[in-house]
Amino acid sequence: MAMQLPVIDYEHIKKAKDAPLEEFYTSGHRTCQGCESALVMRDFAKASGPRTIATGATGCMYVANTSYQTTPWIIPWMHTQLGAGGSSAVGMAAGLRALMRKGKIPKEKINVINFSGDLGGADMGLSGVSGALQTDYDLLIILYDNESAANTDIQATGLTTYGAQTTFTPPGSVRRIMQARWKKNVAPMLAVGHPTCRYVATASATFPALDFMNKTRKALNTGGPTFIHTFDPCPKGWDFHPGYSRELGELGIRSGIFPLYEILDGKVKYTYDPHKKGRIPVRDYLVKQGRFAHLIDEDIDYIQGMVDTMWEEWELPGIAPIKSGLEMANA
Amino acid sequence: MIKRVEVQYRGIFQKNLGKYIGGDIVMIASRMGRVAFSNGRYSDAPERNGIPCKYFAFVTHDLSEEELEAECGAKLDIDAADISLVVDDTMSKGVEPWGWHGIRPVNEKVGHKGCLLMVTRREHDDLVRFMAKKDYPYRLARLEGDASLAGLWVDRDDLTRERCLGAIAAVDPDVIGIEAVEEYLREKTGDENRVRAAREAYEATLRKNKVVNAGEGIDWPHEIPVLPKWHEFEEGGVVVPAVPRGFKLGPRGQNRNEGFKHGTSKTERPVVRFDLCIKCTLCWADCPDECFDPTDDELYDVNYEVCTGCHKCAEVCPVKECIVMVDELEFENTDSPWEHHKQDPAGYIQWAEGKKGTKRIRYAHVTGSTGAEISEGTTVPPKA
Repeated sequence: MAMQLPVIDYEHIKKAKDAPLEEFYTSGHRTCQGCESALVMRDFAKASGPRTIATGATGCMYVANTSYQTTPWIIPWMHTQLGAGGSSAVGMAAGLRALMRKGKIPKEKINVINFSGDLGGADMGLSGVSGALQTDYDLLIILYDNESAANTDIQATGLTTYGAQTTFTPPGSVRRIMQARWKKNVAPMLAVGHPTCRYVATASATFPALDFMNKTRKALNTGGPTFIHTFDPCPKGWDFHPGYSRELGELGIRSGIFPLYEILDGKVKYTYDPHKKGRIPVRDYLVKQGRFAHLIDEDIDYIQGMVDTMWEEWELPGIAPIKSGLEMANA
Repeated sequence: MIKRVEVQYRGIFQKNLGKYIGGDIVMIASRMGRVAFSNGRYSDAPERNGIPCKYFAFVTHDLSEEELEAECGAKLDIDAADISLVVDDTMSKGVEPWGWHGIRPVNEKVGHKGCLLMVTRREHDDLVRFMAKKDYPYRLARLEGDASLAGLWVDRDDLTRERCLGAIAAVDPDVIGIEAVEEYLREKTGDENRVRAAREAYEATLRKNKVVNAGEGIDWPHEIPVLPKWHEFEEGGVVVPAVPRGFKLGPRGQNRNEGFKHGTSKTERPVVRFDLCIKCTLCWADCPDECFDPTDDELYDVNYEVCTGCHKCAEVCPVKECIVMVDELEFENTDSPWEHHKQDPAGYIQWAEGKKGTKRIRYAHVTGSTGAEISEGTTVPPKA
């Protein structure tokens, strides 16, 4: 069983000025100009502080951050294989617990955070993430989702938006839409299936301000295995000017295509609630990206229709695709 | 005889452009009965937006394909280029494509009497003042134009590709000849505009072509590191020392990765009017490269060594004219602008406004599409 450890009680960051100034993931990483995933790294390291160990599955945030014998990490970081995000977090947490039990290191709270990309975390490594969420270890898994295998120059994954151009899904003269899959709904899938996991959230590094850092802190304060899915506009793969990466994240959330919420002990809270704040047309979000340049009105209408269904017909809007009208057997 | 051509370009933004030019050289040389092949520099992959990258093309008149490939195929980089085509002039401040590479001169590989061919709107001397001196003469040819930046999926078809081919024919006809360029473009595209663009670039480049003498240029200020040998790596895997923890308020107060700076990715840098700042923290909070240093007066200094010029700070700043992006070639150094502002507030405003100039550009969302909004800037008076 888990041993009782002193806790780090993270404060909720109320104002931008209260955010910690010190960096634990610092300059000198070979990421793209305007990379939002790099901000996810920066913000989770900043929010969790120096007593943190990060493990990273293969992906952009591995390769870009270890450019030939150099690193921007100040906290310890370990690379693990593409599908091994979950198991590396379990191994790290188990190792720390064993060392503490044997008295080899002081008994103190050390955060274990794994980050996996959408290919590593949501396609290939999904079983490992699921396994990790069934343990009693304190660990946080962050799925940084730039909607492609961006490191190897943009291949489609299960989380790529419908219709997007990637190197796997180039639009042709006969078939325009090659990415015909709808985005996999990972966070709710994990929330529904893992009672041991008390905290699941979705987030964006820059919108609303401080939201992601506070969700990271909430996950660490909740303890046990926890999960955050971040929405990271990628200037390289989505094909937009790097200066607009914050704007693209905001448009994605305001249009309702990426729902923002947290689930703590089964209670859902929308951190951007389109029911109150309204939704902008998905067109405003799509036309600002070169990966959708080949779409015609019909395609945009289809995507709008799918998003409308998410918010208007689902029992848990934007989260679970269960529609009302429960039928009891033999009723 | 082997002719070696390198295309130095901005990662992703000009990835397709570099690849097309390399491929075109091979096709045109083949039409002339020459043997050629082209390839990208292996270590540049995976490319990132803005990072300096290279594409190569090799042409021979007398060797077989096998001999040419044996000579040029398996090398990471070339030793000496006959033509080094640079499709964005801000790279003349140095190129740092990855860690342990150092910031190297853009003309590093230009061989004796070779040619550095640059797409630029600057004058000869305005470029040489940024470039490292060499101990032999070489030529600097200029092809007038803006850096053609595009995206991975949406190309910018602005004739830069055709014009570069014409310019290459002008600086070294032993690589490709202008008649063959014209024939190739005519047959491939059937578009006389493209043929004409190549011919005009050819003629203009013949004129804008000047020798840089041995010793002209600057003493290169950046140290070139030497990679550890395989037997110098630690046993049991690769262990890279983390950046030591360290933070204090003020310029360069945050410890950073010393082995890789990433600053040569930028084509423009943010100029900050500190007196207009409302201390909202957004530039600092949204910077993906951690290049802002918080100061004791709650401002944010910019570390230009590590700024990659992504435009994000200028985009999120809520104050008009407070952060404006300015062409990187307007600047000589990476000194702290906040220190300048503290020492001489009035002088700093004058300096900043001088750099900003009057033109403000807001780029289109899709990089490759045209439609940048150009407007007149205003000079906001100093805030008391």
